[in-house]
Amino acid sequence: MATTTAAVTLTSDLMSTNMSVSATTTCMKAGTTADGLDQMEYGYVDLPTGDEYDLIASTPTAGKASKLYLKNHSTDETYFIAITQNAQAIGKLYGGDWMFIPADFHDAAGDIAITANGGTNKICYALFHEGTALVTT
Amino acid sequence: MATTATISISSDIAPGFGGISESMTLTQAGSLVDIDSTTGFSIRKLSATGAVDLVTMANELVEPKDSVAAKIYIRNIGYRDVIDKSVGVTIGVNAEPIGKLYGGDWLMMPLTCIDADDITVNPDNDNTVVIEYVLFYEEA
Repeated sequence: MATTTAAVTLTSDLMSTNMSVSATTTCMKAGTTADGLDQMEYGYVDLPTGDEYDLIASTPTAGKASKLYLKNHSTDETYFIAITQNAQAIGKLYGGDWMFIPADFHDAAGDIAITANGGTNKICYALFHEGTALVTT
Repeated sequence: MATTATISISSDIAPGFGGISESMTLTQAGSLVDIDSTTGFSIRKLSATGAVDLVTMANELVEPKDSVAAKIYIRNIGYRDVIDKSVGVTIGVNAEPIGKLYGGDWLMMPLTCIDADDITVNPDNDNTVVIEYVLFYEEA
């Protein structure tokens, strides 16, 4: 079985007692306990301003498990990418920010779309999944 | 007053993939000033299917500033030390499904925090499951 693990450590001193949260998960195929995600895409792209782009060119199979990591590697903290899914605004990743979500590519409109602001943003992404609809030549 | 988040991903799917290890300090939009507000760490127990609000933006005691640099962490922690990786909870924003957190899975993502963009949770079945979460945001 392919094994992909994702761990997070979150610390904050905003409250009177410091908060520290750690979590690790093994990324499994949908509805299974014994079979891990076994396919992936990994990329690093320059994202120019002006248009909205689909982050993932292929279409992961609807209803399957996918995990998406995305980081804005821009070094200018005023730069950001706006993220939408199926035209619903999710949020903004400023220079240095990352996100990790169980992306739900429930139909062709469910793509993750990103728009650069401030200047050309440098984006790193990784999609761990269990199948995509490949495009024939 | 810093809030930091570190992610480490390892995988043997692709030969030669060296993994990912990145940290971020949660800052206010477009600046290096630390983010300054949080809901605190909370849990929510769910025992029935059907989408309910995990975070109702309009009901926050301190109004989050809209469309800036908010982040949320959410994890499916199962129930009474039983984590079922075969059953999930769909996380949504303003009724749009973002993805499903199976037992033990977590997410960290930015938010708009505008009033319409509530965070919803919808379990696969009626078995009890607990969601833990914390929201960091800028105060309006």
